[in-house]
Amino acid sequence: MAAHCESGTLTALLNHKGLTISEPMIFGMGSGLYFGYLRHTPNLNFPMFILRTKPGKLRKKVAKRIGIKFKSETYRSTEKAEKELDALIAKGIPVAVQVDLYYMEYIPEWERVHANIHFITIVGREDDYYIVSDSYFPKLAKLHKDNLQKARFAKGYLAPKGFMYYIDSIPETFDQKKIIIKAIKETVNNMIGIQPPFIGIRGMRMFGKKVVEWPKITRDIDHLSHEIMKINIFLEDQGTGGAGFRYMYATFLRQAAQLFNSSDLDGLSKKMMEIGDGWRKISYFAAKIGKNRDLGSDKLLELSQLILERADTEELFYKEMKVIVNQLN
Amino acid sequence: MKEKEAYIDYEPHQLMLYVEKDDGTFGPIITGSYLSKNYIDDFFEKMEKLRLSLLQQLKDNKISPVEYYRVIHDFNIFELSRRTEISLFKVRRHLLVKGFLKAKVSDLIKYAEVFDVPVSNLFQVITVESRDSETKDGVKDENKYKVKQTKTQSPLLVITKFESNK
Repeated sequence: MAAHCESGTLTALLNHKGLTISEPMIFGMGSGLYFGYLRHTPNLNFPMFILRTKPGKLRKKVAKRIGIKFKSETYRSTEKAEKELDALIAKGIPVAVQVDLYYMEYIPEWERVHANIHFITIVGREDDYYIVSDSYFPKLAKLHKDNLQKARFAKGYLAPKGFMYYIDSIPETFDQKKIIIKAIKETVNNMIGIQPPFIGIRGMRMFGKKVVEWPKITRDIDHLSHEIMKINIFLEDQGTGGAGFRYMYATFLRQAAQLFNSSDLDGLSKKMMEIGDGWRKISYFAAKIGKNRDLGSDKLLELSQLILERADTEELFYKEMKVIVNQLN
Repeated sequence: MKEKEAYIDYEPHQLMLYVEKDDGTFGPIITGSYLSKNYIDDFFEKMEKLRLSLLQQLKDNKISPVEYYRVIHDFNIFELSRRTEISLFKVRRHLLVKGFLKAKVSDLIKYAEVFDVPVSNLFQVITVESRDSETKDGVKDENKYKVKQTKTQSPLLVITKFESNK
């Protein structure tokens, strides 16, 4: 089990290949932390916020920075995709595949939504069932081959097209400190650098301001309640490690602090943990008002204030992190 | 977050959280989902209410079965068009009763595939005796029955079998 599917799958494959590294370190080294408020995109039914970089980006960044060589493939033919996957697992090579989460039959039905951005690791096959290691499921699961095929070839936004990858080689050494500095700088830039108004801290503020307008774009009180409660899901339940990846990033900073022997980074890790607590307060608050249908303008304004407070706190945090990272060596 | 505050006892939905452990280190724990434990009933209630409201509109011939399943699956029309590979223009028409009546069988097969239902379910609602009234009160008796639908070689034909749970 892991906190997040993309970083968890990659970490598992790297560990299997002999590189001992933690999921938070992979997440941090891939500059995974992000924020965006999306509202004018044809792919969405309703505005949503994102808390990490675009699917696939984390893996590519980590690979480039460390020097990992992947073998990856997309397919047009479902038969060829199945055959090549079978050949790899027969050799004992665990393979990560991109799937639509909806078809993961071992996950409780209420968690299964159509999202083409889920990653699982296939570790074996028994007759018509694949043996799957899924970050969101506590033990190895079985998945019917027909469902895996549907999941790998679901169409739509970010369609997997049968995408799979496995690790070909890992460099014997790499400069972890240099990568960490680069990765932190990129995260700072994503959050407080020059970005579109819906990205980073500005995106957080946009989210805080726009959430009070949600009643205008919902069908009824139940729909509004559903969308408000999804704030909790995005922050906690959709594979973030808690508080919208903040707890995982705090753990990355703590591990980085130990590597650099830096009390400044250690201080940042504690602050990030506290920032996470603030986000968790938001997710609990959203769940509570959603459940009680207590969604009057006063409560939405309170929710908005909590989000704007997070934006202010995080802005100060990234400014401090920018100064500290420039002093690291 | 402190470790002792993080534990939620809910086995059906487990997740991993990073916390500050009792010894001051940061690390992962496996715990239950707060939302699922405390609010899952509310989620089911909302979904059931939405389903019944859509079903009523379907019965009243106000929406098409494509629109019914589209809302249930939370697809917007762009996503539905991409997933089915049916043009946006046609999808828009198929959401309406009038347009649905002109849909080709080949299109219906594509919709059924994406909605993960047999194509016959675009023309029928399968229910059990205790749910005739389609109210939530009947749900508990549903455990008496199991409806099993098996696909055949023909994409248009499905075997629907009612089995009593023992």
